[in-house]
Amino acid sequence: MNESPERRAKLLQVAAGAAFLALAVVIALIVVNASGGGDGGDTSLEGASEVNRSLQGIPQEEMLLGDPEAPVELVEFGDLQCPYCAAYAGEILPPIIENQVKKGQLKIDFRNFTIIGPDSAEAGAAALAAGVQGRGWNFVELFYRNQGGENEGYAADEAFLEAVAKGAGVKDLDRWNEDRALKTAEVEETTAEAQQLGIEGTPTFAIRGPKTDGLEVIGTPDSTSALEEAIEGAR
Amino acid sequence: MNYPSEWSLRRAIAFCAALGVTVAAYIAIAEAGGDSPVCLAGGSGCKTVADSSYSHVAGVNIAIFGVIGYLLLLASSFFANDAARLGGFLIALGGFGYSLFLTYVEIFKIEAICQWCLGSAVLMTIIFLLSATRLIGYGGTDGAVPDRA
Repeated sequence: MNESPERRAKLLQVAAGAAFLALAVVIALIVVNASGGGDGGDTSLEGASEVNRSLQGIPQEEMLLGDPEAPVELVEFGDLQCPYCAAYAGEILPPIIENQVKKGQLKIDFRNFTIIGPDSAEAGAAALAAGVQGRGWNFVELFYRNQGGENEGYAADEAFLEAVAKGAGVKDLDRWNEDRALKTAEVEETTAEAQQLGIEGTPTFAIRGPKTDGLEVIGTPDSTSALEEAIEGAR
Repeated sequence: MNYPSEWSLRRAIAFCAALGVTVAAYIAIAEAGGDSPVCLAGGSGCKTVADSSYSHVAGVNIAIFGVIGYLLLLASSFFANDAARLGGFLIALGGFGYSLFLTYVEIFKIEAICQWCLGSAVLMTIIFLLSATRLIGYGGTDGAVPDRA
């Protein structure tokens, strides 16, 4: 075999240099990601990385959070402009998500019940459109963290909604924009469903499990433990 | 040191690259159709990974980069010269490095495993090892002569 030692040495030098460079790049990527770069887009909104981190690894299908096969389903009727819903999302639900949803024991379905004003429907449709791309809960929770005053106009503001979508990690903003228009009917449907169930305020929860008779309204349990008790009763 | 014949290494690289094209194309096509790759063993890891922002770079599904990379590796296996050996090694090195990063992201950031992505990472690792062996064993030799035993 004809062999050229110089050519061989040069080739191996190039290869070794490239291997060293690749190793440095991989380490840099991992370090950058480990120190906060995360699964989200626009981090100018407060709490984007925390929200995305807290929901990481949990399956999402439309507005359903958790394993679709989970034995108990909690349905939350909420209004994105509702300050009580925001407080609930920040204080009462996180332990339930951590201890039950992440373990596949519970799934939570967010349904819009728009009672505060027309802007709630715009925001609700935007959340459902994010749900099409598996980021519905990220959208809802990030929206809550950046909630403004009721009917002050922010909830239907294009720039705000887009910032929430980006921060929530919605990948295809063109598709999200198209889906928003298609989702307004669904917002009206779930609002009508809540009214039919006799619900008057938000957030209100309903539950379905082996021990319930279909979907049963449980109201608004005022603590994590009260909500856990209701879930246990349905299991 | 005795290396496998270059012909055997090239065939093994071609085989793994062809498998890789199939896997990456499946992920890209499933995503383009608005769905997610289906995990054969069940579970929703593939969907979770596909829905994460790590699945796209500059708006392009990384599976498309995967298809291109595997096609280039396949092409590099057709030629027995230094350009193909070095080119194949560099592409495999890039693919292997990025696969390492993505596997880290799946385990520690997304906390979900997509078996298709993992399969691709295994294929890329094998191709990287084969390409490195090929470059070290046959770099600087004339491809027209019989393979080293």
